[in-house]
Amino acid sequence: MSATNTAPLLALERLSVRYGGVTALRSLDLVVHHGELVTLLGSNGAGKSTTLRAISQLVPAAAGTLRWNGGVINGLPTERTVKLGIAHCPEGRRARQSVADNLELGAWLRRDRNAIRRDLERCYSLFPRLAERRTQAAGSLSGGEQQMLAIGRALMAQPTLLMLDEPSLGLAPKLVAEVMGALSNLHADGLTILLVEQNAQAALDIADRGYVLEAGELSLEGSAAELLGNPALREAYLGTG
Amino acid sequence: MQDLTQLLLNGLSTGAVYALFALGYTLVFSVLGVINFAHGAVFTLGAYFTYFLIGGAAGANGLLAGLQLPFALPFWLALPLAGLGAAAVALLIERTAFAPLRQRNADPLLALITSLGAGVVLVNLIQLLVGAESYAIPTGALAGLPAAVRIGGAQVRSVQLLLLLVAAVLLTLLTLWIDGTRSGKGLRAVSEDPTTARLLGIPSDRMIQIAFGLSGFLAGIAGGLVGLSVSIAGPYFGIGYGLKGLGVLVLGGLGSVPGAVLGGLIIGLAEACVPADLSGYRDVVAYGFLFVVLLVRPQGLLGRVLPSKV
Repeated sequence: MSATNTAPLLALERLSVRYGGVTALRSLDLVVHHGELVTLLGSNGAGKSTTLRAISQLVPAAAGTLRWNGGVINGLPTERTVKLGIAHCPEGRRARQSVADNLELGAWLRRDRNAIRRDLERCYSLFPRLAERRTQAAGSLSGGEQQMLAIGRALMAQPTLLMLDEPSLGLAPKLVAEVMGALSNLHADGLTILLVEQNAQAALDIADRGYVLEAGELSLEGSAAELLGNPALREAYLGTG
Repeated sequence: MQDLTQLLLNGLSTGAVYALFALGYTLVFSVLGVINFAHGAVFTLGAYFTYFLIGGAAGANGLLAGLQLPFALPFWLALPLAGLGAAAVALLIERTAFAPLRQRNADPLLALITSLGAGVVLVNLIQLLVGAESYAIPTGALAGLPAAVRIGGAQVRSVQLLLLLVAAVLLTLLTLWIDGTRSGKGLRAVSEDPTTARLLGIPSDRMIQIAFGLSGFLAGIAGGLVGLSVSIAGPYFGIGYGLKGLGVLVLGGLGSVPGAVLGGLIIGLAEACVPADLSGYRDVVAYGFLFVVLLVRPQGLLGRVLPSKV
């Protein structure tokens, strides 16, 4: 057990992913330690979503190793990664069912009814807008509310690691701040988070560390403060030369 | 008045069979997005299973000529067992005609061809084993029940009432199961978005197997009841019902459970309105009705406009 305690929660070692003949991710090394908020930055098509999909085993790793608490998890079925404690918030959303049904579905693997009810209330206090709309169909929510719903649903699985795929996508600046604020609070409560973002400024403002992908390869990594001060990154992603 | 009662009950009991049939399609369609064309053969098998379980003997023209089980079960026991047997066959079809394609990430539409193939194999297997002749499930199987009862002055066959009753119970149970249980909710989640469902920890493979098992059970029960009601016309017996079930499915709206029930009842009633001396035109009425509805509502009666899926 002592070995697993010191191992990072999640470690990607020289991970590569290919779609047909196209290499989407090339030899990526990335670690997430317990309690960290790590952000994965890059432009469209850089391989950020692919990284999350590989961790959730939605796409197979063409090469390299995926470790969870030190143990290799390559080839595990997706639903088993959820059991391990990995919650992956994808970009898509379930539209037809109500907000409450959606949240409850997030707890599908759990059987502790009382704790589920408590977590449901916690979700509503984290995102009061969801509480107001609990009987509404998820498809009728605004973009920001849908994003909150997706995060809330992922939290209902009581994850050890929360992975988010561009939660700020298409949101007004005020809502981006609200979503990032919620993530920051969850991080402060001890949740480990891997945040994929194009909005580098918003992500680095709340992150401990960051990685930058470019065309499927790692181009930069460092603490959030280092990355925020990096001239190359500022020019490429923050729009300030 | 008595003619109307008669007509209504005839229509409803036929419609109930169509509904059971269409629900089987719906269950599989909702999780996989494709039609299982072997479904009609499973229905046929359900009828044969029932026939043999109540002690019927095989005719002279198949490999199993003269075979008879050493026991004869009462119908009320034989029917659910036949349903279970049909469910097992449906699971086998899933493993052989559907799962291998899924594991290779093949286009889901290819399953149309493989399931059609599985259906052809099953139908020919039946012919090989028990011949192409028709089998009558003796109505005496309903021991203790009178052949017909009078309702509102109309003579109604007990078989028809039984059909209606069983269909109603199964449809109710299925709806309760989908809306109220953990696996039912998992099934719905897989039907809305399989990838998201997996990311929530819902094992989509198991949900798909549950859908096949249930659809096979419903088809087997429907087959046994129809076999009792009108006799088994041969190995191709299920095909006509299968096509009608497809019509019902499209009429009600693809993937909609209440739609399948409504569509079944409507087509059953529409057919019952065709006078007996014009009974050759029944299918014209059923499909003509379908045609007109689809002109007005292409998504079917209770179907949603399908979201474009990437």
